[in-house]
Amino acid sequence: MIENYFPILIVFLVAAGFVFVSLILTHLVGPRIQNPVKMMPYESGVDQVGETRIRFSIRFFLIALLFIIFDIEIIFLYPWAVVFNDFLSMGAFIFIEMVVFLVILAFGYVYAWKNGALEWE
Amino acid sequence: MNIFIEYSLFIYFLPLLAFLVNIFFGKRLPRHGDWVSIGAVLITLALSMAMFAGMLFSYDPDFRVESSFTWISLGDFVIQLGFLVDNITITMLLVVALISSMSHIFSIKYMEGDPLYSRYYAYLSLFTFSMNGIVLSNNLMLLYMSWELVGLSSCLLIGFWFAKKSAADAGMKAFMTNRVGDIGFFIGIMLLFTAIGSVSYSDIFSGVANGKITGTLLTFAGVGLFFGAMGKSSQFPLHIWLPDAMEGPTPVSALMHAATMVAAGVFMMVRLFPIISPDALVFVAYIGGFTALFASTIAITQNDIKKVLAYSTVSQLGYMIMSVGTGAYVAAFFHLVTHAMFKANLFYGSGSVIHAMHHALHKKHDHETDPQDMRNMGGFKEKMPITYWSMLVSTFAIAGVPFFSGFLSKDAILAGSLSFANHHPEHFLLPVFGFGAALLTAFYMFRLIYMTFHNEPQMPELIEEIHESPKEMTFPLVLLATLSFFIFYTLPYFNPFSDHGWFTYVIEAKTSLVHGAPSAHAIAEGIHHSHLPAMIISLLVAGLGILLAWQMYLKRKLSAERYANKFSTLHRLSLNKFYVDELYERFIYTPVLKLAGKIAFLDWDLYDKYVVDGFGKFTEWFADLIGKMDYDGLDQGIVDGTGRSANRLGDILRNLQTGQLQNYILFALFGVILIVIIQTMV
Amino acid sequence: MNNLQSLSYYWPELLLVTTILAAVVYDLLTKPSESQRVGLLVFAGLVLTLFANWFTSAERNITLFLDSLALDPFAQFFKTIIIFSTLFVILISRKSNELRIYRTGEYYTLIAIMVFGMFLMVSAIDLIMVYLSIEVVSISSFILAGYLKQDQRSNESSLKYVIYGAFSSGLMLFGLSILFGLTGTTKFFEIQNVISGLDTSSHFALIIASVFILAGFGYKISAVPFHFWTPDVYEGAPTPVTAYLSVAPKAAGFALLIRFFHVLFTDAGLFLESENGIPTIPWPQVLAGISVATMTLGNLVAIQQSSVKRMLAYSSIAHAGYMLMAMPILSGNGVFAIMIYLVMYLFMNLGAFFVVIIVKNKTGGETFEDFRGLGWEMPLVGIVMALFMFSLTGIPPTAGFIGKFYIFAAVIKAGPSFYWLVFAGAVNSVISLYYYMRVVKVMFLEGESKEEHIFPSILESALIIILAAPTLFLGVYWAPIAEWITNSLRFFHQGI
Repeated sequence: MIENYFPILIVFLVAAGFVFVSLILTHLVGPRIQNPVKMMPYESGVDQVGETRIRFSIRFFLIALLFIIFDIEIIFLYPWAVVFNDFLSMGAFIFIEMVVFLVILAFGYVYAWKNGALEWE
Repeated sequence: MNIFIEYSLFIYFLPLLAFLVNIFFGKRLPRHGDWVSIGAVLITLALSMAMFAGMLFSYDPDFRVESSFTWISLGDFVIQLGFLVDNITITMLLVVALISSMSHIFSIKYMEGDPLYSRYYAYLSLFTFSMNGIVLSNNLMLLYMSWELVGLSSCLLIGFWFAKKSAADAGMKAFMTNRVGDIGFFIGIMLLFTAIGSVSYSDIFSGVANGKITGTLLTFAGVGLFFGAMGKSSQFPLHIWLPDAMEGPTPVSALMHAATMVAAGVFMMVRLFPIISPDALVFVAYIGGFTALFASTIAITQNDIKKVLAYSTVSQLGYMIMSVGTGAYVAAFFHLVTHAMFKANLFYGSGSVIHAMHHALHKKHDHETDPQDMRNMGGFKEKMPITYWSMLVSTFAIAGVPFFSGFLSKDAILAGSLSFANHHPEHFLLPVFGFGAALLTAFYMFRLIYMTFHNEPQMPELIEEIHESPKEMTFPLVLLATLSFFIFYTLPYFNPFSDHGWFTYVIEAKTSLVHGAPSAHAIAEGIHHSHLPAMIISLLVAGLGILLAWQMYLKRKLSAERYANKFSTLHRLSLNKFYVDELYERFIYTPVLKLAGKIAFLDWDLYDKYVVDGFGKFTEWFADLIGKMDYDGLDQGIVDGTGRSANRLGDILRNLQTGQLQNYILFALFGVILIVIIQTMV
Repeated sequence: MNNLQSLSYYWPELLLVTTILAAVVYDLLTKPSESQRVGLLVFAGLVLTLFANWFTSAERNITLFLDSLALDPFAQFFKTIIIFSTLFVILISRKSNELRIYRTGEYYTLIAIMVFGMFLMVSAIDLIMVYLSIEVVSISSFILAGYLKQDQRSNESSLKYVIYGAFSSGLMLFGLSILFGLTGTTKFFEIQNVISGLDTSSHFALIIASVFILAGFGYKISAVPFHFWTPDVYEGAPTPVTAYLSVAPKAAGFALLIRFFHVLFTDAGLFLESENGIPTIPWPQVLAGISVATMTLGNLVAIQQSSVKRMLAYSSIAHAGYMLMAMPILSGNGVFAIMIYLVMYLFMNLGAFFVVIIVKNKTGGETFEDFRGLGWEMPLVGIVMALFMFSLTGIPPTAGFIGKFYIFAAVIKAGPSFYWLVFAGAVNSVISLYYYMRVVKVMFLEGESKEEHIFPSILESALIIILAAPTLFLGVYWAPIAEWITNSLRFFHQGI
């Protein structure tokens, strides 16, 4: 059965081979003249403006992290909401289960708040 | 856990704790820490008394509690250690605790001012700990370990005043002699272990009963075990250490060499009686009987008060051993207990006397006279009344005078030997040994009393300085003297001529498990029949002995010197303990040392010089060659090379750790691919 | 059993979660200088969890939460080991000078979270739970390794750990998903059934899956060639964290490894020679090879180290190698040997690291130079360290010897085909003697005898003795531990 995938292997080898061959050939055959202009980064033809390495404020990263966490929390709420009715026979347990989940994440939220993750300055 | 086992654990570990505290911190504690050891041993005493009360309360001869834990378990090889508590254990624990407490108290005054006071008490605690180990053990392994520890404590305590050469030598002698006996002991244990596969008593007992080990092998095992008893209980020919052990402090002598340590051998024989074959028992009986007589013949001429008591102990131990041999092992145990009381008392009494002599001589600035020589004593009766009366009571006991405890126990032993001889007429010597020793015992003990306490003082200038000892020393005397009366052993009966009582009820003779051995019932029957004749004969010989001593030393009707001159050879032999030590020196120690010297000569002077030198030149050259091969080839190449290549390999391999994460991931990937390839290739 | 019923058996973990939450809150309420108190709270919570663990006894195997967690004596044993090592590490962390300048509230909280993750690891019998638990433990360790924010090496080690951990998790997840694809289920026992029915065409997929999963597990227990993160991370992380990482996650990793291979492969007959339709995958030989590589590399490179901490890192790699020796066997003997080795290893390794901390507190460094003459200056510490070194080498009568003895015995009993493995193990033990004795030599044979002796504080001395006493004592009398382990294994072979 694996013989069916044989053509894919060929394609893979050809593609990889093409890449390697061209790289090696240019390395061997091409001229080696250094020129400062050749080394400069490409910026649509115009001269460079500003540094390439800008320091990003780390608060963006923190906000993104917090967003991810609470976004996933909401995502977990959806399937629960969908099957909620079917499992009502278990009584309050099904509700309390989700409340516990939310409470634990709330602890995390309080922690982040108290530690100044939500401050912008 | 059973309450008896709980108590036993306390009894076992408290003295050990006291030992550790005193040996490490004793000097820094107030009063040098004697209260630590004394406290520990008194608690032990209280617990033993509680167990004893429990035993009397349940009054059950078959009482038995056992508890063990697994020490080593490697597949099939399992060794369990644990405690066994039955009536014999409880009685023995009480004896040990009582005498040990008395020694501890006695030593407060006796060892006062000694610079190594705390160490002394530490050693006493160590001894108590190991002795309890012997008593409580339910298996041969713990027994053997505690046995060795007891021997060690004995050596340390005998040689306590190690600055004195004779004391240090005596300690070593004790240890060495014990070791010789222990070789046989260990062989016996190994024989049993190989045949039965376990070291616990219950397994061994059932093993013998099922016939797993029989015949000559079993006899050998029994004799081997008895060798340990010979060493520890100082039977001929391993008796030589006990008289020398008198170099130790007197409370030590009372504790170890009268009551407990030397009794350990008897205790062990009593415990293991059911597996000793009749042939081994005969051997045991003869050794015991001969020792009993032999030692007492030496005791009659000794002048050092402690030496008399020492030989007396050897002799009494011989009695006990002989009793085990004739099958009356309950009588042996009975005598063990009574002997512990009165012999310890006698030792304490002698300690009291020696203490008084020391003080008196010190006052007179006399450092030449021997304070232990009875020829320097005499007339102490008025000056030391408590000592006198308590020693007198104990002397009555040991001589076998009715109304005292010793009479009952000795009687039982002698009845046992008489009954044995009745059933096996070829062993007629055993009662001869027994009664002969009884006669001599009565004689020399009263000789001791008369020479020390009666007559005119032999050194009149000392007598005003002699006074009674302080209460820490007289209290044990009074207590033990009281316990030398018969009544304590015969309750609830009051017959001074019969040993019926709580003792003979709770300590019941068990039938031997060896095939072909007489049953306990048969032995008891025999003893019962011989009881009356034995009592009559023993009363006769005791009376005769006391009469002789009375005439010779009190009334001076017969002169001791005249008899000494008439039988001068015998007298000299006896005074010099039959030259046994000298014989050993001449026939054993010296030849062995000479042989060692000869072999050394052969080796060093002959072989080395001629044979080796003869090879020398060739070997030097050859060695050079080999050396080069070895050093350059083997050492450098292989041995060092292995080390160096390990080093270099390590060096190379450490370069794998480049510190760059990309490489780590790459290597991990390579590893995965490699493993997959290996898997698929197979 | 379903979720509601499982809760009543889940007490230890629930207590643990409560502890974590309480620690988070407590940390917010305390001032930075008092942040060590959170550690005490976590300590108390862990002690309660320990008791809850003992009382939630399992007289039979049960599965919780719809067959994703197993509650059996095997898991309980490992949970106990993990809690004990954590308790020791918390006490050790309080004494470390490295952490003194930082707020340690989060430190203890993270340790508690890691314990929770390890609890899940040792009970996991579902593929997803395997992945989840390993991730919880890994992420917590990433942060803990980089806890010294002002120390460059700590940051570097944390970063390396993160990236490498992500890579290994990725590999493992790939393997897990292939396994899922092959069998159609994520529960161990159902997988076991399906695998025994597979035919040869899935052979290759099975190999890939198991090798990739092994890569993930190997990363956790630092087996060659997945160990490369270990020296860097162990060296950079704060020493208490290193001590913790070298004991607890390793133990949890081994538990998971044993369970995984035992359930999936042994019972399905793939481990030893079998005559099923499936051709045998030479797992025993491969595992043995990995074991030898791990031991050898760990020991050889340890010789070259000049830092005691890094040497101990390599030595922990080598010890993982010794334990892996018993993996090809996976009989009762083999598992027993690994478990008893872990118990002994716990004490001696934690002890050795604690001594490194004490030395670092005193001299500020962790190289052999800093250990010079330690035996003369701080005799208690010197003697105890010597004891730990002897135990790590495996010299009787220490605990390390007993552990090695059981491992070797298990391998020998497996038959002549593994004698080369025993030989390799023995040679490695000899090699390890060198670098362990180097510590002893530097401590006692160099430096002069000092007049005044320094002793660590009462608490430190007590802690050191508590770690040293079992190292010596268990070398003489280890029967209770052996009994406990045998008890823990009594349901192991029956499965569910």
